[in-house]
Amino acid sequence: MTPLDWIVMIATVIAIPSFGLWRGRGSKTVNQYLLAGKTMPWYAMGLSIMATQASAITFIATTGQAYVDGMRFVQFYFGLPIAMVILSATAVPIFHRSGVYTAYEYLERRFDAKTRALAAIVFLIQRGMAVGLAIYAPAIVMSVIFGWPDRLTTLLIGIVCVIYTTKGGIPAVTWTDVMQMSIIFSGLIFALITVVSLMPHSVSFADAVYLAGAVGKLNAVDLHFDPNNRYNLWSGLIGGSFLALGYFGCDQSQVQRYLTGKSVAQSRLGLLFNAMAKVPMQFFILFVGAMVFVFYLFIPPPMLFEKTAMTAIAGQRQYSQVQNHFDSAWQRRKAAAEALNLARKHDDETRVQASIAEYRAAQKDIESARQSGISLYEKSAGQNGFNDTNYIFLSFVTKYFPVGIIGLVIAVIFTAAMSSSSGELNSLAAVSVMDLYRRHFRKEASDHHYLLVSRIFTAAWGAWAVIFAQYAKNLGSLVEAVNRVGSFFYPVLLGAFVLAFFFHRVRGSAAFWGMLVGEATIIACALFTNVAFLWYNVIGAVVVIVSGLIFSMAQASDPPKLSVMSSGGMQAD
Amino acid sequence: MKLPIEIRNNEPPPILGSWRNLNILVLSWLAFLILLFYAFTLYFS
Repeated sequence: MTPLDWIVMIATVIAIPSFGLWRGRGSKTVNQYLLAGKTMPWYAMGLSIMATQASAITFIATTGQAYVDGMRFVQFYFGLPIAMVILSATAVPIFHRSGVYTAYEYLERRFDAKTRALAAIVFLIQRGMAVGLAIYAPAIVMSVIFGWPDRLTTLLIGIVCVIYTTKGGIPAVTWTDVMQMSIIFSGLIFALITVVSLMPHSVSFADAVYLAGAVGKLNAVDLHFDPNNRYNLWSGLIGGSFLALGYFGCDQSQVQRYLTGKSVAQSRLGLLFNAMAKVPMQFFILFVGAMVFVFYLFIPPPMLFEKTAMTAIAGQRQYSQVQNHFDSAWQRRKAAAEALNLARKHDDETRVQASIAEYRAAQKDIESARQSGISLYEKSAGQNGFNDTNYIFLSFVTKYFPVGIIGLVIAVIFTAAMSSSSGELNSLAAVSVMDLYRRHFRKEASDHHYLLVSRIFTAAWGAWAVIFAQYAKNLGSLVEAVNRVGSFFYPVLLGAFVLAFFFHRVRGSAAFWGMLVGEATIIACALFTNVAFLWYNVIGAVVVIVSGLIFSMAQASDPPKLSVMSSGGMQAD
Repeated sequence: MKLPIEIRNNEPPPILGSWRNLNILVLSWLAFLILLFYAFTLYFS
């Protein structure tokens, strides 16, 4: 990186939290600190919801995903708008008018203390690990690309994040998110313009799109139903809806965003804004990745994008053979792409068809050569499942982007890491204080006391996140396991909230046991079937609801607990 | 199964007159995007 890149990066990373702190100054009560005094406008909430969901690794990995696998990943987000419509009409008014600080507080009002405690603890375990990874994941990518020490990077991201989250609370987090999303959008637009401008002069934007599509990199929608296929229209619409319902409806890091709204209408609008903006944004990010693929049709790409992996295989006996195969396959693909482009310009349909066939065959050849390189690395490292998609985009940016833009893109990565981490830290503090500390340890204390404790918990969770990130490298496969935890717990929480919202006769014990049965079912699915993980969200939630209803019928003789829904709305404190 | 009272007391949205209209807009937008992406997939493959 040049001095200008450093200036752009440091200025961006410092300026954005400073703006957030300035806009969010004056959190004098716990309500202001955790719920922004319910003053947030819809656009700030909508952008904050998007920022919390989009972590740095999502941004880095999604472009790499398109490079390797095309754009079908966009289908993963098709269920999100459906979930947003449902939640804006159900969860938002219920949580808002119930006057709760956390989603799990509602579960006690509706069911009992043990169901609330179970949900809160599940959230703390899951988010507590995820927040450490949100900081660690971009740091490890930076360490491979730039050689920066990953422990120092996690420490710096963590410190900046903890300072503004602890000091400003959710108002600072939300306004920082607004700025961060603006920077992310700008960075993406710059990235697309830059990648297209870097193409050879003979390749127009339309040619680039055509070349990407001809080898299936623009395969955004797949109509074939296959439960074992992770990304198709049906898994995206159905499984994705349930996943989004679980995440946005039951995860405090998201619920807390829309609890800050000025009114129910503003909160609903914030969610619907997210519903409309998210899918095009993901499409755009994937499209940038597809254009990076086209760029590498004309400029030789590395066989493996992770430098350490390339260094590791360089000394291997078969390396030169595999690398030669890769180089010749790239030459063949380049020639085929140029021939195809020329045939299209001459409007020669016979030559176009012949060139497409050769271009596709050359693409298969280069994929096979790259796979040989991956196998070579896996053999030398003694590990399976090597994946370098996280390194593709950054490796491209640092090598080919103009001075200044590199700094901006790196700032985007940092701000994305901070925006997801800060939202998570604030929600972890809210659940720790409201669902555990105030509920079980100190029921009666002053508002000032809870504000102080909220700040302490935010700082403590921040310290935990940084420490977890420092040692994440040593956790090995646990990192992958942590990333899957959400798919194991969201459906269970979703089932519990559906029972709470819509089935008034179901009581605490029935919901509690229903959650346990649902969890056991998901674990059984993961262990004994090949069902793609998006479907766990459907199966788990349905099992919780059905078994909760069955348990409820078995306990029908007990009088139901009074629900908050019949009280005409409660207010926090 | 009964709708909770909080859901039934709705404030109108600031645009389009009713939440129903706004929801239709969002779902229509999704349907439009899926159709657009599908056409995009077919055209470029």
